[in-house]
Amino acid sequence: MNGLHGIIFAYEKAPGLRELTEARMPGSVPFGGRYRVVDFMLSNMAGAGITDVGVVLHGNYQSLLEHIGSGKTWDMARKNGGLKLLPPFADARKFGVEEFRGKMEALSGVRSYLHEIRQKYVVLSDSDLIINLPLQKVLDAHIESGADITCVCTESGQFVENATYFTVNEAGRITETRCAPHKASGCRSLEIYLLSRDLLISLVDECAAQDKYSFRSDVLCAMGDKLDLRAFLWDGFAAQLRTVQEYYERSMQLLDPAIRSELLCAERPILAKEDDEAASYIAPDSRCVGSLIADGCQIEGSVEGSILFPGVKVGKGSTVKNCILFKNTVVEEGVTLGCVIADKDVRIRRGGTLIGHESYPLAVSKGSIV
Amino acid sequence: MKKECIAMLLAGGQGSRLYVLTENMAKPAVPFGGKFRIIDFPLSNCANAGIDTVGVLTQYRPLELNRYIGSGQPWDLDRADGGVHILPPYQSAGGASWYKGTANAIFQNIGFVDMYDPEYVLILSGDHIYKMNYAKMLAHHKKAGADCTISVMEVPWEDAPRFGIMNVDENDTITEFEEKPAHPKSNLASMGIYVFTWKKLREYLIEDESDEASSNDFGKNIIPKMLQNGEKMAAYRFSGYWKDVGTLDSLWDANMDMLATGSGLDLLEKDWPIYGRSVSAPPAYLGQNAHVKHSVVARGCTVEGEAENSVLSERCTVEEGASVQYSILMPGAVVKKDARVSYAIIGENGVVGEHAFVGAPPEAVPPEQWGITVLGPGAAVADDYVLPANRMRSVDGKETVR
Repeated sequence: MNGLHGIIFAYEKAPGLRELTEARMPGSVPFGGRYRVVDFMLSNMAGAGITDVGVVLHGNYQSLLEHIGSGKTWDMARKNGGLKLLPPFADARKFGVEEFRGKMEALSGVRSYLHEIRQKYVVLSDSDLIINLPLQKVLDAHIESGADITCVCTESGQFVENATYFTVNEAGRITETRCAPHKASGCRSLEIYLLSRDLLISLVDECAAQDKYSFRSDVLCAMGDKLDLRAFLWDGFAAQLRTVQEYYERSMQLLDPAIRSELLCAERPILAKEDDEAASYIAPDSRCVGSLIADGCQIEGSVEGSILFPGVKVGKGSTVKNCILFKNTVVEEGVTLGCVIADKDVRIRRGGTLIGHESYPLAVSKGSIV
Repeated sequence: MKKECIAMLLAGGQGSRLYVLTENMAKPAVPFGGKFRIIDFPLSNCANAGIDTVGVLTQYRPLELNRYIGSGQPWDLDRADGGVHILPPYQSAGGASWYKGTANAIFQNIGFVDMYDPEYVLILSGDHIYKMNYAKMLAHHKKAGADCTISVMEVPWEDAPRFGIMNVDENDTITEFEEKPAHPKSNLASMGIYVFTWKKLREYLIEDESDEASSNDFGKNIIPKMLQNGEKMAAYRFSGYWKDVGTLDSLWDANMDMLATGSGLDLLEKDWPIYGRSVSAPPAYLGQNAHVKHSVVARGCTVEGEAENSVLSERCTVEEGASVQYSILMPGAVVKKDARVSYAIIGENGVVGEHAFVGAPPEAVPPEQWGITVLGPGAAVADDYVLPANRMRSVDGKETVR
């Protein structure tokens, strides 16, 4: 036990992910050929020696439950502590129906859980973040600086929908917080926050007493002058997946060996639920280049610049270019696909053609037959 | 708790005919087909057939195998009651001894079997590649009212002299057993898979143990003795893919069979899945100039060069300009720039240096000098080095002609 506890917020919907979140929450969106988005944060936590993690749920979380299971994948199926799934149980009448308005409201929905936390520190994270972050370093920095809250953020300058931006001074202190601005400025928060359990509980109670619900506006913005907020700058790969477009671009970056070797490095492995598939078969007359291929695929056609999840079939004479095909997608014979994201169990019938554009990839809903 | 049928899996053999591949691990732990190990086949067959209690008898170099099996979770054999148990030889009040033969290994574990008080015991080998529903075989055993049922398959008549051959009557009751007969009367070969009525087998094991002359082996002693005593012996006909992978050639063959469509060995088929313990690794990456044909590629591989008619297991690397033909790369093998690997088995984490040659196609060497080339687990071939056909090289650099 390293004194750090994890809480992952998996209640927030992401309308910008459209078809990809029709049947699931953002945390269980497939990513990178064999992962779900939440695997990254759970693996970051497991890698830092965290054994106790709470996952705050709301909405359409069946797929997420199915994926996380007992937490065995991350070695969090423990006799003491381990992974706990937290549907809104504190006030079923109110929270059961309405969505949480913010993180503080979500936490007050699981208030009794907070009191059972055995560790001194808590790290809060969203579930739509793709990152391979050494959390131990964040904890070390937090303890060394003596901050009240350490916020992990990036200087990448990229604009992300509904993001939080900070102004950070030379000493690393956050002097201003801006919520969901229309353009990028300063450091973008990666929505990973580290603070002590005691401070967290007192903030949750304070907010609840005043009917305040948002971590960023009611805590970071409103109490910015009272609290010592520090930035932990992360210059590695980090993607907050909030639109189909962003999902597509960030996925395709994985075809770059440098990015792959950073995000999927062997020293801090990203662990995912086992898929029980044999090795992929690539047929004599096929062509398969510049692509990521998960296990259990059968490729008889041409695949280029694409990401194939487990169990994908590409028939003879078909061309798949710059596509992302989720688990068990079947591309029959003589099909042409370009810039398509096919969700699980999609079947593209013989001879079909579907072409999206790099700036507007075509997403096909789970189980569709085209 | 009482079980109807439990399985005992013989996994203690050295597998000496796999030479360098089994220098440091037991034969059942040898990788197969890109993502599996040989023992995954009998374990998965048990799981799929609903047999939830399996004793794995280990003896030779068991560490790798023990770690691999672990709690049995990948095969759904981590059960509240039953599950998978590793059974090495142990010391008892009367003394301690190694497993002397297949029958002796079961004899020494009569106590284990008795804990589950089963009606039937299924005896399996840890060196066969096949998919088989043991539940059907058990049903056949019960229906025939047999004391022992032996799984058999038809082999080509010309191959029959290499097998243990069962002669049967019109009801498929075994009348005679001939080990490697010069003039076979039937082409039904024993697959080394047995179902016994436990009460009966228990008696024979005890009797066999007291026989000083016996080599305590199922095929040599127990089966002939039961036949001789007129016990009811049934043959269970199996049709489908089955191969004993006890030799380097048969291991290579079975991997090539898996690639071929129509061989009957389809690991991608979902009706009878084979499970295994996998490493955590990203999907395979096939580079811009990769040229992969008629091959399997498992997770964690990086292929920038060429692979044809080959098996690339987990976390293998084939660098740019390198070529792998008709070969098996076991997990973590690396083939560096411009190297050529042909008709070879590269053991786990084996390394083939830049511009090196390992193995050769049959047409390139005189037939009497040709054979599969094998690089042992962890062994390396230096840059520009040539390891010719029919050679083996082990981790300590020792080279032998097969």
